[in-house]
Amino acid sequence: MAGIKQSPWILHYDASSCNGCDIETLACLTPVFDVERLGVINTGNPKHADIFLVTGAVNEQSKDVIRNLYRQMPEPKVVVAIGACAATGGVFRECYNISGGVDSVIPVDVFVPGCAARPEAIIDGVVRALAVLEERQRDTAAAAGSMDQVLYLRAQKSNAPQILALQKAAYQSEAGIYGDEGLPALQQTLEELEDEFDRRPNREASSLGARETRKDPEKDRDHVVFLKAVVNGRIIGAVRGYEVDDTAYLSRVIVHPYFQGMGIGRRLTEEIEKAFPGVKRFEIFTGHRNERNLRQFRKLGYQEFKTEPFTPAITWIYLQKERP
Amino acid sequence: MSSWIRLLIYLIAAPVVGGLLAGWDRRISARMQSRRGPPIFQPFYDVRKLWQKQSIVVRRSQNFYILFFLLLVIFTGALFFAGSDLLLVIFALTLAAIFFVLGAYKASSPYSFIGAERELILMMAYEPMILLTAIGMYMVTKSFYVHDIASHATLLVLALPGVFLGFLYTLEIKFRKSPFDLSSSHHAHQELVRGITTEFSGRALALVEIAHWYENVFLLGWVYLFFASSPLLGVAVSLLVFVLVILTDNVFARLKWQTALRSAWVVAAVLGFGNILVLSLLR
Amino acid sequence: MRILMTLVLALILVPIGAGLMLGCVRLDTLRKVVVGAVTLAVFCGTLALAARPTPVDSGVVPFNHHWLNLGMLLVEIGMGLYVIVVGVRSRRPLIVALMLAQGGLMLWFELTQGPRLEAAHDLFVDNFSLIMALINGVVGGGICLYALGYMREYHEVAHRDVPDRRPLFFALLFIFMGAMFGLVFANNLMWLFLFWEITTLCSFLLIGYTQTPEARRNALRALVMNLAGGLAFALAIVWFHDNADSIELQTLITSKQSLALVPAALLCFAGITKSAQLPFSSWLLGAMVAPTPVSALLHSSTMVKAGVYLVLRMAPAVTGTTVGLMVALVGGVTFVIGSMAAITTSEAKRVLAWSTVANLGLIVLCGGIGTGEAVWAGMLLIVFHAVAKCLLFLCVGVVEHKLHSRDIEAMSGLIVNLPRVAVMMLVGMAGMFLAPFGMLISKWAVLKAVVDASPLLSVFIVFGSSATLFFWVKWMGKLLEVVEPQRRIEEKLALGESIALYGLSAATFLACLFFPLISSRFIEPYVLSVYGQTASLGQGNLLIMTIMMIFVLLFPLSFVWYGRGVKVVDAYLGGANVRGGVGFTGSAGQVQEVNLHNYYFRGLLDEAGLCRCGVIGCSIVLAVMAAAALV
Repeated sequence: MAGIKQSPWILHYDASSCNGCDIETLACLTPVFDVERLGVINTGNPKHADIFLVTGAVNEQSKDVIRNLYRQMPEPKVVVAIGACAATGGVFRECYNISGGVDSVIPVDVFVPGCAARPEAIIDGVVRALAVLEERQRDTAAAAGSMDQVLYLRAQKSNAPQILALQKAAYQSEAGIYGDEGLPALQQTLEELEDEFDRRPNREASSLGARETRKDPEKDRDHVVFLKAVVNGRIIGAVRGYEVDDTAYLSRVIVHPYFQGMGIGRRLTEEIEKAFPGVKRFEIFTGHRNERNLRQFRKLGYQEFKTEPFTPAITWIYLQKERP
Repeated sequence: MSSWIRLLIYLIAAPVVGGLLAGWDRRISARMQSRRGPPIFQPFYDVRKLWQKQSIVVRRSQNFYILFFLLLVIFTGALFFAGSDLLLVIFALTLAAIFFVLGAYKASSPYSFIGAERELILMMAYEPMILLTAIGMYMVTKSFYVHDIASHATLLVLALPGVFLGFLYTLEIKFRKSPFDLSSSHHAHQELVRGITTEFSGRALALVEIAHWYENVFLLGWVYLFFASSPLLGVAVSLLVFVLVILTDNVFARLKWQTALRSAWVVAAVLGFGNILVLSLLR
Repeated sequence: MRILMTLVLALILVPIGAGLMLGCVRLDTLRKVVVGAVTLAVFCGTLALAARPTPVDSGVVPFNHHWLNLGMLLVEIGMGLYVIVVGVRSRRPLIVALMLAQGGLMLWFELTQGPRLEAAHDLFVDNFSLIMALINGVVGGGICLYALGYMREYHEVAHRDVPDRRPLFFALLFIFMGAMFGLVFANNLMWLFLFWEITTLCSFLLIGYTQTPEARRNALRALVMNLAGGLAFALAIVWFHDNADSIELQTLITSKQSLALVPAALLCFAGITKSAQLPFSSWLLGAMVAPTPVSALLHSSTMVKAGVYLVLRMAPAVTGTTVGLMVALVGGVTFVIGSMAAITTSEAKRVLAWSTVANLGLIVLCGGIGTGEAVWAGMLLIVFHAVAKCLLFLCVGVVEHKLHSRDIEAMSGLIVNLPRVAVMMLVGMAGMFLAPFGMLISKWAVLKAVVDASPLLSVFIVFGSSATLFFWVKWMGKLLEVVEPQRRIEEKLALGESIALYGLSAATFLACLFFPLISSRFIEPYVLSVYGQTASLGQGNLLIMTIMMIFVLLFPLSFVWYGRGVKVVDAYLGGANVRGGVGFTGSAGQVQEVNLHNYYFRGLLDEAGLCRCGVIGCSIVLAVMAAAALV
């Protein structure tokens, strides 16, 4: 399953760079550096690309574009952020319209430092990205080859980084629907996620829509239950939920984009329902325009019972199901 | 050599030869631009990688058209190397190209749409000359069958110099090389992205590449037909023609579609038809 | 043999009788019953005729000749007077003049030569007329069934402003059908002429059906041009009788070239007007204002075919002469100009009309070349074109009612909106130009025939067919592309419509599968009987065509794996996609719709300019033809 290293096709996007890094990136293709001798082709088309090179900080204009391009790239894919701005926002970090480095929008695999990054550094970054790409390809291929052996296990706090990365990748399609970065799932930081393992989120603050407060908290049911779907040791899906007053609140059924549509999300939901044997009803929510999720949940026996506006673009739809 | 053996050799060897030619093309192009260029096996690496990538589509059925494109291109070449009727070969080739174009239409993206439209214009541009080539060969050899034409005693090119030059002109279009890379450039950073292949990824794109390898070998086989009575000369000229195509690719800027269409038709009318006119006057 | 002649007579008279009856039927149900019954009868009749083992025959009509001739004369005078009234009322002196010239000539001819105008055989049946009859019976029957549902929707939904004159419509449709049978079976040139004029008149009335100013104008134009052809026809009869003392078609074809050349040239001219070749193409384009069944029946599959039928009949008489060459040139130029003009327009029926003109040009080209091989190819073209083009017209008719537009650009995404009709349209288009289907086999045969006879004429075919390719594929692409996932439009079809559409789709495939049978059963015997030798496709090539056919038939099977294991994402729009890929963010942040528009070569080709070139060129060619015939 080798070979991807010998044919890295890149897509280069300038988020809001001063063009310094862009010129250095393109310089790699010139006779002096000639990266084509390594098989590199600058495709200019996400559908053909393996490596996404982004220069410059992310601003309001480029945010959706980056997200769209990333979503339109076939798996396996890697993202390389080139230059100081792409890494952190650089000197533009404090600007009103800058939301930070590329990793504030999509998961980044390799950061190339420099202002501007030197061609040698960029080539080096691409080579490192290739290693990631190859590993990812091997993982994906292995996982795809053993889809009949998916394990559904309790996740531990140590899985948090993997789950967070998965969450950011999986929610890109959701972000594509609303064109708005206001999705809490994309805003979450590692600390917040690790916190969730210890105690359930404040429901008012995270807008999970609870009306009543806990009356008689039992210690062992207080924290959130995390489930993960694992293939060949790699997490490809996750879900979380917690229990209050005979109701289990489920949220964030996430599946890696490559494995979506294979029934993993449904299975995760079923598994986590089993994790709450004592409850009488289940509750879950999703964005109002996510037809696919709504269809899935209805298929699992959930019914809509209320809606709640979240941002101007997003309205949450709450679904519930009584235990049969 | 029986036609079945030739057919078998074509089916097996054409992708290898086509891939190597493509690799050679990239290498020579790089040298012409004073670069080192990729390894000669680069096209194979590319296809191997594409084969392992995820298939993403815009419309679910779009990839079937590409599968049929490949099958029909192979079929075209198979007919040709089995020594069949040249007109049928052309029709099969047209059918193949139409599947390719329909696939791009099906993908319903502005870039692939315009690529498809331009590919159609190019088809319209080269079709007359290709048919005239077949007619010219028929007039000399009294047969449309490739095996009769190939076993003709004299060098066809002597009787068909105009047709040969016209055919070379359309060859530039068929190879999708500059100045006729209107529909799908080999190089990025152009107004059409990758034109007709923009929306094909993964295996579908790999199939397109393989189809092009088969197609290129078939086209060079046709060039060979002009020199069939002297096999060595034929092979040499075919390779020379390939280098010539690469040279023009690197030397010329792209033409507008209007110019491409007009010039190809003028070439067909003047060189192709002129040649046939002379032949029928001499007869 | 008696049975055969009775059958032929029945085929002529039953539709005409039914037509006269339908003219009085206002009740929809009754009309349905009559149309259905007559169509079925005609269908069975033609099949029975075709199934007879030795169909070549000429027969005597068991009537008193004198009275029959008198009756026909009266019909002719009646039609002539009607046309003169039309000409006077619409203030078209040309119509009056042409009619007076033609009518006067025929009247004088009948009155002076009356007793001598005896034909040994008034009717005859051979393989060529059988093919034409089959097309007329099968395709025409299908169209009549289709017209039932179509015309109801036409008047009750789509065109409420048009006065409902359906009795007249169906009357004309069936009278036309009967006349068409008469036309292909007639051996007596006087009979042939009568039926010829009836089809002209039917065409005129049907084009003007809606009575809008545009429809009237176009109907009158069609009348003028067809009357010119009719005049040529009349002249041909008089000339031939004057010189050869015969009014039989068979005699004309088999007589010496020196004797037959002038009448053959005149008849070719008549054929050229009838089949709307340049410079007379404008009437067919105008005829598209008529309801779709009319366009399908008269203006693509049968009446215009009568023109090429006559040209192909005359082929042995003109082959190898300058006249023949000129006829071929008219056909060739028309093919190229028609195909190019079809690129420039986005109106579906106009594209079909141009394509019809172009394909008829190809058949005329075959007739002009006139070798056995060419005639064989031309006859193939007639068969395949009738089936596929008719299917396309009927599909466009349905689409027009559902989308309220016949603009090709409006048909974007039809494969999702109206999947069944779209698939049938695709079948029709594939039938028109794609590799294993009939039209391409025929074009291939034409190319071979032309290269053998006069290679220089092949230039028309190579340029014309590449233009053909362009406008068909871009139309197919338009049907297939789906810019935004839309909801299905309700696709309910009337029973008659379904029968016609499914039947014709099946016929497109079957005509291709049974191509060897059609060729060996009907076409080759005819060519053999006329030329003493025949053409056919080689076995090896048939095999290859079969393999290709299997390829194409396999395509739908691939839907079994419909989009498995693929991930659907939006189209690439520079990353600026919004709203699920149907829009993108423009430069000033506003949302733009994705809009795909085909190329029409505006600025490179221009329909009117092309027409002008064609008219001038073909007029010169016709002048040369006239000179060559007389000299």
